[in-house]
Amino acid sequence: MKSKVKEPRVSSFNLKKELSLVPGYLLLIAWVGFTAIVLVWVIAASLGTPADIFSGTVFEFNNGVHPENYARAWISSNVSVYFMNSLVYAVTSCALLILISAPYAYVLQRFKFPGCGAIKTALSASTGVPTIMVVIPLYMIVAQLGLLRDPTTNRIVLIVLFVASKIPYTTIFLMAYFENISRSYEEAAAIDGCHPIKTFWRIVFPMAQGGLITVTIFNFINIWNEYFLSLMFVNNDSLRPVALGLFSMINGMQYSGDWSGLFASVIIVFLPTFILYVLLSKYIVGGLTGGVKG
Amino acid sequence: MKRNKSMIIAFAGPATLIFVAMFVYPIIRTVIMSFFSIQEITDPISKWTFNGFGNYVSLMQTPLYLTSWVNLFKIFFIGGVITLGISLLMAVVLKSGVRGKGFFQAAIYLPNVISSVAMATMWIQYVFNSSYGFLTNFFRTLHLDGLASIQWLDADHKFWALLLSYCFGMVGHFMLIWVSGIERIGQDYYEAASIDGATKVGQFFYITLPLLKGILRTNIIMWSISVSGFFLWSKLFSPISADTSTVVPMVYMYDKLFGAENTGDVVRDAGSAAAIGVMLCIFIVVVFTIVNRLIKDEDLEF
Repeated sequence: MKSKVKEPRVSSFNLKKELSLVPGYLLLIAWVGFTAIVLVWVIAASLGTPADIFSGTVFEFNNGVHPENYARAWISSNVSVYFMNSLVYAVTSCALLILISAPYAYVLQRFKFPGCGAIKTALSASTGVPTIMVVIPLYMIVAQLGLLRDPTTNRIVLIVLFVASKIPYTTIFLMAYFENISRSYEEAAAIDGCHPIKTFWRIVFPMAQGGLITVTIFNFINIWNEYFLSLMFVNNDSLRPVALGLFSMINGMQYSGDWSGLFASVIIVFLPTFILYVLLSKYIVGGLTGGVKG
Repeated sequence: MKRNKSMIIAFAGPATLIFVAMFVYPIIRTVIMSFFSIQEITDPISKWTFNGFGNYVSLMQTPLYLTSWVNLFKIFFIGGVITLGISLLMAVVLKSGVRGKGFFQAAIYLPNVISSVAMATMWIQYVFNSSYGFLTNFFRTLHLDGLASIQWLDADHKFWALLLSYCFGMVGHFMLIWVSGIERIGQDYYEAASIDGATKVGQFFYITLPLLKGILRTNIIMWSISVSGFFLWSKLFSPISADTSTVVPMVYMYDKLFGAENTGDVVRDAGSAAAIGVMLCIFIVVVFTIVNRLIKDEDLEF
């Protein structure tokens, strides 16, 4: 094991320096404090009653604590259905994205072949193309083929769209990652007579683990929260992902008046990505700050 | 070599085909469609009639559509100054040696991992609420009754409420990109400047800012891309129908494609919807070109 050399960073206390940082601390604390207040309020409201919410006394719980708001949201407001849909879409799409984009990024980064420059340029350019530039013809084809009528094909259409729309981002991200993996392993494997496809899956792919995890987290969060493509292509209430389901609940709220149930649903939708973030924020922050070119 | 060739075909072939089917073909078709009059999105090509620039001309004569662009430009310029400015400030504060940098960084980025629907619900139902909301209570506690009585979600303030809440969430993302830029600036510049007696503010203007030109360019382009896709927040602030204070081109385009629920002034027309897509693309290309002209970083190497 290599022992890390620790730098003596902020540990020494220097009054003058700390004083000059006070405005900075105030700004950060105000910003994060505001976020925390909003979150805590929503959690409190999700456990209270609409009466508490409207009288502005959510933290007093005058009418008791009601964890059953969550059960009601989960079952009778169909949040469980939306939740499972999003889970299926996100997990399937993330797995397919890795299976397609990792080999793609590898050959684009490692080999020169006719058209590889053009493909790279096209991939980067497409990350700047607004979704609405592509959805109209896609919707036309899918609707003309009648794929939205059947729930199963509709589900497949959605997953294909999520995967296809994320291929450029995932591939570009992984290309940067493969660049940092030494070629010597592949050369050694080639001398031993290992087929390059096998070399990739057995040797290079496992070495890219860090990059694969980071890009999967981003893809998972994006697909979990996806709204526009689902709005256009979901043709059946039972296929809605969380963002779409929550949106329709909000609109129905004016009639049902179940505000605590709404806030409980907000928390349920919020939790998976939040937990993922708390556990893996190192990968997320590192993934964003690592690969940006000026 | 031959084995490499078979691998390249196996690995790049299917992915390129999917990419062409998802991006290249639809983009070309959208551009072509924007010159045709097409009533229903599912109409076969035989029912299209050539319309030249007719779709563009009639869009430019539609007041609601023009309003949607005014809103988009307001979001782009005002929101851009706010978001990029505050995120840069946050990044500089984080890099100034505060304790708990990792925690603050993660907490400020948090809104980016949460569903926008959940985020906007928190803002609309709590922060902006006029009877029990955060802002109302906050200003009431400070005895600023004028500010406390603002109806954030009425027609006059809705746009600003929308802009404020949208920017709040976006700050974290751009902050991290600024941080990565600042991290690449050598610490020795600052040390040399400190020895020469430069203040923190002076260091910011004479070292940090000039060296972040490249990142500024990237950030402006990224901001234009996220703004051009502005849709969900507008829908959340005006869920039933597009209203003039929050409408943006994409919302208008959606109404063009599928019809608005209660307005008679939006006629279903897939050709115009395609034209809106093309115009949003042109917007990004124009921003990209201008930014690359204005901000050159050939003069600095670090």
